[in-house]
Amino acid sequence: MLAYVIRRVFHSIVVLLAVGLVAFSMFRFVGDPIDNMLGQERTQADIDRLRTQLGLDQPFAIQYWKFLSGAAEGNFGVSYRQGRPVSDIISERAPATLELAAVSGLFAILLGIGLGVFTAIRRNGIASNLIMTLSLVGVSLPTFLIGILLIYVFSVELDMLPSFGRGETVMVGYWSTGFLTKSGLVALILPAITLGLYQMTLIMRLVRSEMLEVLRQDYIRFARARGLRERVVNFRHALKNTLVPVITVTGLQLGSIIAFAIITETVFQWPGVGLLFINAIHFVDIPVMAAYLMLISVMFVTINLVVDLLYFAIDPRLRVDGRST
Amino acid sequence: MLRLTLVSALVCALGTSAFGETFRWASTTDPQTMDPHAVNSAPVLGFLNNVYEGLVRRGKDMSVEPALATRWEPIDGGGWRFHLRQGVTFHDGSDFTAEDVLFSYLRASSEASDTASWFASVSEVVVVDDFTIDVITSSPNPIFPDSIANWMIMDSGWAAANGAELPAKDSENHATLNTNGTGAFMLTGRQPGLKTVLEPFGGWWGDAEHNITLAKFTPIQNPATAVAALLSGDVEMINPVPIQDAERLSQSPGVKVFQGIEARVIMLGFPHEAEVLKYADDAGMPNPFTDVRVREAVAKTVNVPAILRTIMRGNAEPASQLVSPAMRGYSVALAARPAHDVDGAKALLAEAGLADGFSFGLKCPNDRYLNDEAVCQAVVSMLAQIGLNAELDAMPVRNYWPELRNDNYDMYLLGWSPGTFDAEHPIRFLAATPDADKRLGSWNFGGFSNSRVDELLPMIQSEVDYAKRQAMLDESAKIIQDEHAYVPMYVQPLIWGARENIELTQRPDNFFILRWVTVN
Repeated sequence: MLAYVIRRVFHSIVVLLAVGLVAFSMFRFVGDPIDNMLGQERTQADIDRLRTQLGLDQPFAIQYWKFLSGAAEGNFGVSYRQGRPVSDIISERAPATLELAAVSGLFAILLGIGLGVFTAIRRNGIASNLIMTLSLVGVSLPTFLIGILLIYVFSVELDMLPSFGRGETVMVGYWSTGFLTKSGLVALILPAITLGLYQMTLIMRLVRSEMLEVLRQDYIRFARARGLRERVVNFRHALKNTLVPVITVTGLQLGSIIAFAIITETVFQWPGVGLLFINAIHFVDIPVMAAYLMLISVMFVTINLVVDLLYFAIDPRLRVDGRST
Repeated sequence: MLRLTLVSALVCALGTSAFGETFRWASTTDPQTMDPHAVNSAPVLGFLNNVYEGLVRRGKDMSVEPALATRWEPIDGGGWRFHLRQGVTFHDGSDFTAEDVLFSYLRASSEASDTASWFASVSEVVVVDDFTIDVITSSPNPIFPDSIANWMIMDSGWAAANGAELPAKDSENHATLNTNGTGAFMLTGRQPGLKTVLEPFGGWWGDAEHNITLAKFTPIQNPATAVAALLSGDVEMINPVPIQDAERLSQSPGVKVFQGIEARVIMLGFPHEAEVLKYADDAGMPNPFTDVRVREAVAKTVNVPAILRTIMRGNAEPASQLVSPAMRGYSVALAARPAHDVDGAKALLAEAGLADGFSFGLKCPNDRYLNDEAVCQAVVSMLAQIGLNAELDAMPVRNYWPELRNDNYDMYLLGWSPGTFDAEHPIRFLAATPDADKRLGSWNFGGFSNSRVDELLPMIQSEVDYAKRQAMLDESAKIIQDEHAYVPMYVQPLIWGARENIELTQRPDNFFILRWVTVN
């Protein structure tokens, strides 16, 4: 057991180092940060001085080592663009992304399960066929287009919802939340739908097919034969048994909701880490890019590690394999 | 009871109108710092012009007018004496004196600052008394007052108390997020990249023309989101409006579009020093662009009116020289562009022994100027008419400047906006023979060199007589035009959008000045 865990953790660290290396070696193709830091009246001497100051004249290996040793201590350096510590900037921006991810995750799960059950029970109804057809739109349209369409309909034409931003936020300790104000809550609606729509349709289709499978089982027929009410059969007996794969998929999707919030955040000018990252690319803000990529990979690696360990706990066959190899 | 409610409602209604309005605006770029000396870029200086002030400032027509200095006169032997405005206070209530000017000079000209080039000719700044200050220059510098409109004065006591004596570029200090200027607005909230809040400064020395009580700035990177925000009334003003949306937006109810021209001239540049071509099929061939006839052929072939009609949708003005007509020192006699003449261009190429044309590489940014890549594509197809086959390589600006610095081009696109709004500026940066020690020709990537232009430049810089100076500027501009050192194409347009109830003034430097905004 312990050997297995240690091996998995070791693998995770190797993956992290590799991600860091790939990311870091790509930064040299992203462009030269110096041009964004100096005005048009700069001289070559100014350029050289700043390059030395930032350590950009040093060999790649040394830059990478400096980054790693800093990151290990939780120090991601100072943003080239804002001149402020990257850890400060990211912790300022993280609440926006996490709140958006939480709301769209919730939206995806609740609506996904609800509609999934509905379309499974009313398999041949007009409404469920309509929902299934519309869900194709959700899967196939790109996120930015959905966002722009929603803005156009609900902000520009109907003037019901704000077109961008997070509304008014309230500081709770170090956490800026939009949950406590009306404008903050209203501002969440469109971005959360945009971000969660894909996951929602995914969960809905998964629940539907699992439900259809389960509804054919003998114990469901038996439950019906016992004269149980339809609602009890559908929700207590059938739905419960479909949820295991749904939970696995949802857990894995949580990571991608956070990571792929970039596009939604750009369309809605949502001040989260995704927007920060897009800006960092634009201005060649290497410390911010590096920190973001490392955090996202830490998140994915952790989720995968937890899933691996859960499987290990659930599946006895893995334990046997673990001992034999 | 009812009467009381009525009265209070009335008071409230009166109150709102008397107190003016909240004004929200958006632009693509967030000013990256609130420090007026740390970065010499238009988004920062334009924004901070609302908060800080210089000794002089620019009016609605870009002319220089008194600000913190009420008048100024040249000193014998080189330099200027500035008489400072009395009774001015900073936002924190401390008094403005000559000490603050001296401090701001030292701060803005320090090595840590990005604005040091404005003071290249200054040898010393001397405090004469509390409200008189002398700026001594090594030789007479007639345009010095014109060149310091963006040199902003910061309170010396405040800077010292908060440890912000020097600007910080790759780290943070108090002045990065806080301000203490004398301007019409003070900074009351700053969340970098999210929101910046300004409020009118009650103790401002000038008469307020605006009726804003609260101004909120939000950066919106995505142009489509910005347009939607304006249409839905979530912001009162956006800058810029994408060219392709301008027409539609101007026809939308509740919204209007402000159009003008910017100071920026878009031009093509050549390698003047390179031995050989570096790209496409003819890589290795002796550099044909060293021949003035080939450069002239390019100038004759590029159909600028067609580019302006199609790609810029009629929003830009053609350019004939390195500065636009709105700049000081523009040469009126040289206002004509070379006529579009494909046959003449072919004849010139034949004369140069290149009747069959050649292939070369054109470098172009794709996110720096309005529709830059589309313009380059148009240039490629136009040059193909005379057998010049350009291979276009368009890239983000963050990769573009390093390529140009490393001479990786056979032809390139460049936009230039003179920081001093004077014709001397592009000569210094684009036409003078590159010389790092003298800070000359730092954007002259192609290495254009003309001894007469080099000779004229220092004379232009120190000539006090306006007519003589203009004659020398005309001579330089004529040489640069005759040599086809660059092919100036057009002056970039400026397109802003605002709600119908907003009155504002659009200045060619793309600075958005809040004190000229009225919310009706």
